[in-house]
Amino acid sequence: MPPADSGLKGQPSFGHWVFVAVLGLLLLGQFVYAPYLTSPALQTWSTVFVAICVQALPFLVFGVLLSAAITAFVPASFWTRALPKRPALAVPVAGVAGAVLPGCECASVPVASGLMSRGVTPAAALAFLLSSPAINPVVVVATVVAFPGQPMMAVARFVASLVVAVLVGWVWLRFGKGEWLRARRHHEHAGFAEAMRHDLLHAGGFLVVGGMAAATMNVVVPREWLNVLAGNLWVSVLALALLAVVLSICSEADAFVAASLTAFSPTARLAFLVVGPMVDLKLIALQAGTFGRRFAVRFVPLTFSLAVLVSVVTGMVLL
Amino acid sequence: MNRLTQSLVLVLLGGAVLRITTVSNEYLNYVKPGFRWFLIAAGAAVLVVGAVGLVKKEDGHRGPWVAWLLTLPVFAIFLIAPPPLGSYAARSEEAPARPVGALTAYTPLTRPVSEMTIGEFLGRAWGDTTKSLAGKQVRLTGFAVPSKQKGQWYVARMQIACCAADAVPLKVAVLGWPAPAENQWIEVTGTWVPPKAGGPEPGTVAPELDATDVTEIPRPIEPYE
Repeated sequence: MPPADSGLKGQPSFGHWVFVAVLGLLLLGQFVYAPYLTSPALQTWSTVFVAICVQALPFLVFGVLLSAAITAFVPASFWTRALPKRPALAVPVAGVAGAVLPGCECASVPVASGLMSRGVTPAAALAFLLSSPAINPVVVVATVVAFPGQPMMAVARFVASLVVAVLVGWVWLRFGKGEWLRARRHHEHAGFAEAMRHDLLHAGGFLVVGGMAAATMNVVVPREWLNVLAGNLWVSVLALALLAVVLSICSEADAFVAASLTAFSPTARLAFLVVGPMVDLKLIALQAGTFGRRFAVRFVPLTFSLAVLVSVVTGMVLL
Repeated sequence: MNRLTQSLVLVLLGGAVLRITTVSNEYLNYVKPGFRWFLIAAGAAVLVVGAVGLVKKEDGHRGPWVAWLLTLPVFAIFLIAPPPLGSYAARSEEAPARPVGALTAYTPLTRPVSEMTIGEFLGRAWGDTTKSLAGKQVRLTGFAVPSKQKGQWYVARMQIACCAADAVPLKVAVLGWPAPAENQWIEVTGTWVPPKAGGPEPGTVAPELDATDVTEIPRPIEPYE
């Protein structure tokens, strides 16, 4: 039965007209608007915005592909066998398993969502979601390269990120409620291609929201403000943790930015590296879009505060 | 958003990514050169998913409204054609950034004029105890950034690790030459001016270069270091 607004036959729908308008604007714009879109601030904003979207796209496609493959081809029974029966044990196992997915945070959201839809305990899938962008080999190597002569930075990042992921998973297991997580709207019959196309449109749209927010902060917030805050331990840790949230840099590149923030203590820079892959504007948008707003308003503050606390403790012990 | 529109949005997005990676080199304004093949693969995948949706006539689910936003990067790419980060982004941070992965061993400069990246120059000026830069002619490539201080301007280049969102500006102050137009790409030849004793600590202000020649050049294909 074709849906009411199929549009493939019969009356063109509203969506078609919007699309025609979009195409028209694109064609017209080349000649009419382009000469006016030259303000340096707008151009810098658009460069950063397009850069975030373009850079995240391969990871997003990879994550969506993997998620669709998990949904379509891996039977649910596989996960019940692969993960320990007791959820309290499944959380750390899933956290450590994050080390094998070599991607950045954009890939991990659809994959975690795919895991949940296949019956993996949400707490374990969330531990995987948090740990995989932070502790995978690509990110560890990037951190070692960015901090020459300070291998403890990569060690501290690995340890702190894993601890945060597992702690958040356990807290969610103890206090989380199933109704906070929006169920995936996928129908059981939805195949590989359908799952992929839905996730791509959905997660991609929210990625754009996050990219816009991050580009705005990137252009609007001058970094010399930060140097004023570098003196005090807690203030500097919070400042860099918040910077990680607003800049939304890919976890494979954030170590290089952290290395350039030389005015800050190693502990504050560790907080930047631990918070960034777990909480940032584009991730918040992606998570709210994928798991629902009721999930995000609880999960994001929980993750952020645990990440800051664990970073400070790890920094004091290891750095 | 119905199925046909969803497919068209995906085709548009995939097409835009393929355009900036295959038809032009614009992707270099946003990401590292090594990213090209990942982008081509991702753009092709998005295009194929969209094209399959156009061809296969089956009833789909209504798409999310948020997918409309995927047209925004397409708009930006086609209408604004965002240029590489330039003087506006480099000026927003007065304190010079430290180059990442600076050299640890500085080979002596033997050529009459040594071409080097601005990152290498900063590394030698700030971190080299053997003062290998002293008295040597060097040539730097970058774009011009005005300075608030009189009698100087900056030759700058952005360094990116992954994409333009993580760019940090590398800057060298140029003395003894009139400032070119803002954002003009140039080759600057000159010698390093060692900091005076009792001045600011190395690494807190941009090192200085006494220019003997400044040539205007077209923008390099790869705008970042």
